[in-house]
Amino acid sequence: MAVMVRVKNDAPFAAQPDDDMVVCRCEEVTKGEIRKALHDGVCTFGEVKRFLRCGMGLCQGQTCQRLVLGIISRELGLPVSGLGHITGRMPVRPVIMEELGKSTEESKEA
Amino acid sequence: MKRYEMIVIGAGPAGLSAAIEAAQSGLEVVVFDENEWPGGQLFKQIHKFFGSREHQARTRGVKIGQNLLEAARGIGVKVVLGATVLGIYKNKEIAVRLEGEVRNCKADAIVIATGASENMMTFDGWTLPGVMGAGAAQTLMNLHGVRPGKKILMVGSGNVGLVVSFQLKQAGCDVVAVVDAAARIGGYGVHAAKLARTGVPFYTSHTVVKAVGAEKVEGAVIAEVGADFTPIPGTEMPLDIDTVCIAVGLSPMSQLADNAGAELVYDPAKGGYVAALTDEGETSVKGLFCAGDVAGIEEASSAMIQGKIAAAAAARDLGYITAADFETKAFGYKESLAKIRAGMFAPGNKGRTDIVQTDEGYPLSESLLARGFLSDAEAAAFPAAGIGGGGGGPRPVIECTQNIPCDPCQDVCPKGCILVGDNITALPQIAGEKACSGCALCVGACSGQAIFLVNETYEDGYGTVGLPYEFVPLPQKGDKGRALGRDGGELCGAEVVEVRAGAAMDKTPMVVMKVPVSEIARARFFRPESEGGI
Ligand SMILES: Cc1cc2nc3c(=O)[nH]c(=O)nc-3n(C[C@H](O)[C@H](O)[C@H](O)COP(=O)(O)OP(=O)(O)OC[C@H]3O[C@@H](n4cnc5c(N)ncnc54)[C@H](O)[C@@H]3O)c2cc1C
Ligand code: SF4
Ligand code: SF4
Repeated sequence: MAVMVRVKNDAPFAAQPDDDMVVCRCEEVTKGEIRKALHDGVCTFGEVKRFLRCGMGLCQGQTCQRLVLGIISRELGLPVSGLGHITGRMPVRPVIMEELGKSTEESKEA
Repeated sequence: MKRYEMIVIGAGPAGLSAAIEAAQSGLEVVVFDENEWPGGQLFKQIHKFFGSREHQARTRGVKIGQNLLEAARGIGVKVVLGATVLGIYKNKEIAVRLEGEVRNCKADAIVIATGASENMMTFDGWTLPGVMGAGAAQTLMNLHGVRPGKKILMVGSGNVGLVVSFQLKQAGCDVVAVVDAAARIGGYGVHAAKLARTGVPFYTSHTVVKAVGAEKVEGAVIAEVGADFTPIPGTEMPLDIDTVCIAVGLSPMSQLADNAGAELVYDPAKGGYVAALTDEGETSVKGLFCAGDVAGIEEASSAMIQGKIAAAAAARDLGYITAADFETKAFGYKESLAKIRAGMFAPGNKGRTDIVQTDEGYPLSESLLARGFLSDAEAAAFPAAGIGGGGGGPRPVIECTQNIPCDPCQDVCPKGCILVGDNITALPQIAGEKACSGCALCVGACSGQAIFLVNETYEDGYGTVGLPYEFVPLPQKGDKGRALGRDGGELCGAEVVEVRAGAAMDKTPMVVMKVPVSEIARARFFRPESEGGI
């Protein structure tokens, strides 16, 4: 497991023309919001996710993980390999509560 | 709780092959797939596959999927569709959503074969309706019978972008352009060439900068990119399109492996985060395996072999086969894996731009890499593609000029005219001394649609070119139109003198057109009068 290095971009936040572009569609998080968070000290995918919710929506980061990793890598000058990834958690696909509620030890054979 | 000996997650080529292998060794196996259709990526693939006979080459992907499903069910594998695996707990217990509830079951071994998801890219307007993944476009067309749009911009020229572009054309869409930020077309030259000759333009070193439209895509702007892959101001070019398809790569779906506690590693050559695997496909969790695209983006052929290796290892660990049996099997599987992982498109060569010649030492066609078609001069440099010196009667011209893992041409020719040899990435050669009967089987079998039958002595001053034609309506004998060159440009008038569409051609009919002898080396496609080929 790669050792994580904490890096912060101390340069003052400078707006970019495409800052209002939506990167995480499910949670409607923009590139500018992510870049700002990185200037505020956030530095791994997990932190961006907790801070801004990107990757927590319906698709669970299937669309945005790669895009967000690219933004973090460029903004902090770090290789993507050290930035971590979205933790795979049960349920890896959306499931409605009613269906989850029907889950029992003795439930029918799958 | 129900306990299986093996649970396979994903009914694509990797998962079904793993299940078959395990069941053959005597394990009780269940396969879960969230789709309603088995076959994974295969059930959308209507083109003929590469590889060799053992990987079911020259069979259409959808048929390979059906064959695998039949084989699996035939030896008692339980294949459960519409079953989404939600998580893997400790002790190889899984939660699966099925028939409106979540059920749990356990296994001694688990093979994760969940495949990959499509990468997206951001640009101005990328969230407009009408921007979609190439895979989504393929699902619309091939599963639901819906055209994704009328005028398409394809972003990405890897095999997925090329194959889907061709299918869009088959569905009657106009593919206005294929762009790629790289300087070279990423997919097989033969896939690019069959598009280029229908008139689809390629823009390498270009990207999409903008999709325009208020409520939906009504146009796009592309621009040339510099060495740093950013657009060069002033090179913008508007395109009249209504759909943007994105085919910029796939990412392995490693979430379940992560959830199960397996160690992940970041490997760009494999497409992103993948589970760290032994050469048997086992993760850091004992008894938990990964196979296929989830272990690294590759091909159906390699996915099938990886599935078999993982299942054989599990069968050994569970005592169904001996260590010696395993070694024998694994040796054979690894050998065929090495064969298909050779050539310029091998996983280890991804993104390389320094390959300038074939394994045989022929210079690679620069025009094919940059614009999708062999230039006339470059074609002549390849012995099998060259056309000089032909006597009477039909003979094959093979425009397959890159080392790709494929050999159906050799396999199918009853006269032994075509030689690839044991090394399936070698270029096909024509065995000069063998007489071609003109049966056209090679034209129909070539997965790259790269074989043409030429005859210089059809009539005084005229010869014929037989070409693969997978579009509807199929031209008929007597139809008139234009002959197009490899670049899709009009060359001369042409008349269809024969159409071979029998069962042996397996839905890749050969259209034979009559052209002046002087155009035989260049004429490679037919545009009927009815479609503007006047
Ligand atoms: C357009 C295109 C053209 C191609 N052409 C060729 C070709 O000519 N030759 C070739 O060899 N290869 C080709 N390929 C590649 C080939 O299709 C893939 O490499 C191959 O399908 C990978 O097999 P797999 O079994 O790993 O995954 P997949 O085929 O992707 O199957 C994975 C399966 O897992 C299921 N799944 C995923 N998550 C879950 C879950 N949580 N629960 C239950 N089920 C789940 C999915 O529904 C899917 O059915 C092509 C691919 C594309 C997209
Ligand atoms: S036309 Fe028939 S005989 Fe001639 S090369 Fe092709 S397969 Fe062989
Ligand atoms: S010519 Fe042979 S090796 Fe080349 S694409 Fe066609 S079938 Fe495959």
